[in-house]
Amino acid sequence: MMRSLYLALVIAALLRVELCAEPDLPSQPEFARHVRPLLQEFCLRCHGDKKQEADLRLDLLDPDMVTGADAETWHDILNKLNLGEMPPKEEPQFADRQRETVVDWLTGELQRAAQARRSTGSHVVLRRLTRYEYNHTLRDLLGLDRNFAGELPPESTSADGFQNNGATLRMAPLQMEYYVQAARAAMSKAIVTGPPPEVFEFHAEESAKVRRVKGKVSNRLDGKNKYLARLEKFPREGNVIVRVHAGAVIAEGSDYPRMRVTMGVRSDTQAPEAVLAEADVAASEEDPQTFEFRGRIEDFPLPGHNPKYPGLQISIYNVSAGQPDQKRNSKKDKDASPQSVIVIKAVDFIGPVFQSWPPEHHTRILFERDDDVAEPDYVREVIRRFMERAYRRPVQDEEVAGVQALYDKLRPQVGSLEEAMRDTLAMVLISPDFLYLLEPNAGSTPQRLTEFELASRLSYFLWSSMPDDELFRLAGAGELSRPAILEQQVQRMLADPKSQLFVDQFSSQWLDLFGLDRVAINPEFYPKFDDQLKNDMRAETQAFFGEILFNDLSALNLLDSDFAMLNAPLARHYGIAGPRGTAFERVPLTPSDHRGGLLTQASMLLRNSNGEDSHPIKRAVWLLERILDDPPAPPPPDVPELDPNEPDFAKLSLKQQLEAHREKAACNSCHRRIDPWGIALENFDATGRWRTEVEKKKGGRVPVEVEATLPGGHEVRGIEDLKAYLLQHEKQRFARALSTKMLTYGLGRSLGFDDTQTVDRLAEEFAGSDYRLSRLVTAIVQSKPFQTK
Amino acid sequence: MKSWHLHRRTFLRGTGVTLALPLLESMAPAATAAQALPKRMCCVYFPFGVSLPPADHDEANWNWFPRGEGRDFGFTSTLESLEPLREHVTVLSGLSHPHGHKMGGHDTGDIFLTAAPFKGSRFGNSISIDQVAAATMGHATRLPSLTLSSDGGVGEPTRSTTLSFSDRGRPIPALANPAQIFSRLFGDDDDALEMRRRRLSSSASMLDLVLDHSRSLQRKLGKQDQEKLDEYLSSVRAVEQRVERSQRWLEIPKPEVDPGAVNLDASPKGPEEYIRAMYDLIFLAFQTDTTRLATYMLGQVAGATTVANSFPACIGLSGNWHGLAHGAGKKGGYAKLGRFDQFLAQQLSYFLNRLAETPEGDGSMLDRTLVLYGSSNSRTHNNHNYPLLLAGGKQLGFQHNQHLRFTEKTPLSNLFVTMLNAIDVPTAGFVDSTGEMTEVMS
Repeated sequence: MMRSLYLALVIAALLRVELCAEPDLPSQPEFARHVRPLLQEFCLRCHGDKKQEADLRLDLLDPDMVTGADAETWHDILNKLNLGEMPPKEEPQFADRQRETVVDWLTGELQRAAQARRSTGSHVVLRRLTRYEYNHTLRDLLGLDRNFAGELPPESTSADGFQNNGATLRMAPLQMEYYVQAARAAMSKAIVTGPPPEVFEFHAEESAKVRRVKGKVSNRLDGKNKYLARLEKFPREGNVIVRVHAGAVIAEGSDYPRMRVTMGVRSDTQAPEAVLAEADVAASEEDPQTFEFRGRIEDFPLPGHNPKYPGLQISIYNVSAGQPDQKRNSKKDKDASPQSVIVIKAVDFIGPVFQSWPPEHHTRILFERDDDVAEPDYVREVIRRFMERAYRRPVQDEEVAGVQALYDKLRPQVGSLEEAMRDTLAMVLISPDFLYLLEPNAGSTPQRLTEFELASRLSYFLWSSMPDDELFRLAGAGELSRPAILEQQVQRMLADPKSQLFVDQFSSQWLDLFGLDRVAINPEFYPKFDDQLKNDMRAETQAFFGEILFNDLSALNLLDSDFAMLNAPLARHYGIAGPRGTAFERVPLTPSDHRGGLLTQASMLLRNSNGEDSHPIKRAVWLLERILDDPPAPPPPDVPELDPNEPDFAKLSLKQQLEAHREKAACNSCHRRIDPWGIALENFDATGRWRTEVEKKKGGRVPVEVEATLPGGHEVRGIEDLKAYLLQHEKQRFARALSTKMLTYGLGRSLGFDDTQTVDRLAEEFAGSDYRLSRLVTAIVQSKPFQTK
Repeated sequence: MKSWHLHRRTFLRGTGVTLALPLLESMAPAATAAQALPKRMCCVYFPFGVSLPPADHDEANWNWFPRGEGRDFGFTSTLESLEPLREHVTVLSGLSHPHGHKMGGHDTGDIFLTAAPFKGSRFGNSISIDQVAAATMGHATRLPSLTLSSDGGVGEPTRSTTLSFSDRGRPIPALANPAQIFSRLFGDDDDALEMRRRRLSSSASMLDLVLDHSRSLQRKLGKQDQEKLDEYLSSVRAVEQRVERSQRWLEIPKPEVDPGAVNLDASPKGPEEYIRAMYDLIFLAFQTDTTRLATYMLGQVAGATTVANSFPACIGLSGNWHGLAHGAGKKGGYAKLGRFDQFLAQQLSYFLNRLAETPEGDGSMLDRTLVLYGSSNSRTHNNHNYPLLLAGGKQLGFQHNQHLRFTEKTPLSNLFVTMLNAIDVPTAGFVDSTGEMTEVMS
């Protein structure tokens, strides 16, 4: 505590805020008392005042890595020690305890230096909307449910794992080009011209026939065929509805079969199509049900204007998990669960659909004009209203006039007000006021956010999108920042379905659920593994986090819970009797299920595997980084990973391999604090299934060994023990870790030393509320960093 | 515009397409036909280094570098797919960027084409060679350059997902999705010329006004924010220039290319199809003279975040790329990594063959295209002795069929200087170069 406080002051000094008196640097006495004598004894003979092997002189290095200039050199030294390269073999060696003292000090100081470097001095750097924020903002602004961000480049991830960090988010010409394109495309959809478009309707019962195309067609879908409807006439713009009348013959003991509906075209060799929807078919063949799906026709592959194969195709597939797949070999088919058949009775198509013409998204911008209002006045008001929502604040008359100047320039060149307005408002959508969360403060001292800035921080924190009318109204009335109102609003926002975006984004970024896609499961080891399951795994963790947040359950459920959020494919993967459909449901757990809490979820277990086997070190690092916010030092250069192909090594159990690894003092200095956490998770294989034996690559099986001694000396035997230990001894660290992560996400910046007190208070309040996430969210919103710029 | 909106067109295969160019002042009207043929450059990077077993090792045949040197050399299994292209290929060993020697083993991908000193807390990069070239020759084509990577975007400093950096050292976002790249290169607009003209002119006005308005914003911001706004403003300015450029190209139709010529659905989950699709796109961009400069970063060096880490597993090799690279020293490890190196080299051969099989002037496209292929690690984490291969450019004065061995006295930048001069980008020096690399010239 003292140490971080002092360091905070150092940083403050660096930022020329205020310089205080210089107390003893607590990390320096540690250096002077424990580390320097060891360097003296083992290193200085070759790297001291008399000799400077490799041009390195240790006694003159600045031990303060935050303000000093030698952090890089210290880092090299740490690497040498960790690699066991220094001291040289023929020289006297550190005792293990001594090596640990030096390594621990170096590691801690370097981490602090890294944190100082990332810190932006309590300031959220001008933050561009992320790809997903941009998309949701345009949806809410325009009232159009489309993907607007498809062409934008993927976002970078900050050192603390988040995508919404202002300092990390960049801009480039290529990106700007796509913003211009997207703005134009968005406005041309939002504002319509001309009379109502022709509406096309279509009805079919029998599947269409296909010639010379692979695969069979049928009304009875068994997984190997498809249902096909061909539409000669169809719209090229607007919302469309597809209704499917279907039932199923469900094999005994099977889950509900799953239907996938796609729309697309037939081209020469390929048939490009995009998925409209998927749904479970629970109704029987005798008593079929009607499914209604909506989509935006522009989001689907459409034929060109003079295609070889005209027309639009609607295809329906049976994609139930465990269903035999054409691509897979027959050996696996034998294991597949009994087949269910989906029976398609009829398909209807209607589009474009609109409740009124012009549609609501049009009149929202171009509202009805009174006869006595002159065009310039009307135009000014249209622009002003649009700008206020797009800029998320009131706008000045000069700003409106600037945009109107563009309108005036464009209007004579085009046929209608609507067309001129499309381009005019597209310009608003490429302004920095729209693309960035502007919080101007040219001074050097922090200031309170304005009411409107606060509204935006809130809405981007909890909705990943712009504020709604009520937030705007409260901000306009100057009431939003009142604590009672603010708390009310947080509750209201969490109750709004839009907060699902907070659940999805925060949980994916905090726990790095994207990581699932970077591990390829080796089919030699897991022949039955279906890659689709990765999506279910990600969704499980998101649903789990949501269940806890929305039901105001204790966040300690993240460490261990007596329920899981499962759907049919994932429940089958875990071997738990669960729901029959693909929707996630709360399933009570019994001890024999071996599940409960994040650590038993396949998203984490698979992400931290190598696709063939578990990877205890990766799992441990993940736990330390994400759950306890205590990341180990990055590995030194040139360290080989554990290699399963080493013949002698292969005979050892994984635990023995890790032990062999830790026998090297150099490895042990870091790995003694890493490995045990992962060993306790060894009952889970690479795909997250429970196991009691490990199949060795070279044949044979060995029992899983899960006994480990945690860094504090605590003995654990497997996952249950580990969870019990976390609940008993690590609640504080966990509360602090989650507070840190959520504050980082909420602010959109890396935390610095000067945020230490805020995090302490948040963690305390969070724990005091019996670990309610809603309380943590509220406390973050009410914290000073959240309300200042 | 989606690729499938395109009309059906004939795929231009091996026809040496000639296309009308806009009349630009900088184009000498008296240029002879031969001079008017384009000169091109493509740079490809892969992460994690290569398999380098010692010469007496059982698995020595999986060493990336050929046996022997000079003209008397033999490819190992790794590069054997290049044997038919011997006359077009030089393998270079011993080269590296001296500034990279002091950097972290995972940090040098960022400077592969920039040679910048890039260390410590600032992480400031500088311009990459493709952008140096684009500044001189980019005006001659519809797109000045093409920047691709398997990950897309810019990534983070030291883990950049792009090889290209602007004159201010800012990363240029890479495109990763074949359909999107295709549409950018060849996607046609169904709108009438008048409509497109109007749209461009209104874009120019939009951008102009946005710039005007944003400048006044600058004063209201603190220093860190000003830097961000500056990045925004210079992006807007660059787009303005592009709009201007598009106006000049407006009446020249985009080349017609059948989208069926590229597997636009390829994704990194199928590395062979995907890498080939990326090479196909570069090939088509070159063939249609849509651009003359391309970079492609196959993967970046953070095993934890690059999509390329799963490439080996996706083609049936055991383990991830980073793991293979680390395990190279273990029993069987050289062969395992070598097989993957071989796979990557096969994809390169596919690309080089397409260039070599397409006649142009009195040679092939390959004879007028320089292809640099390599990594900034020899073995993983080691920033010396880059595995490098230079192909093509016979008609630009290059000679091949050799394995050249250099010492660390020769910085890689010397090769860059020679390459740039060969494609008519007059270059006296580049970052830390000490001269030209005459050994690769005939």
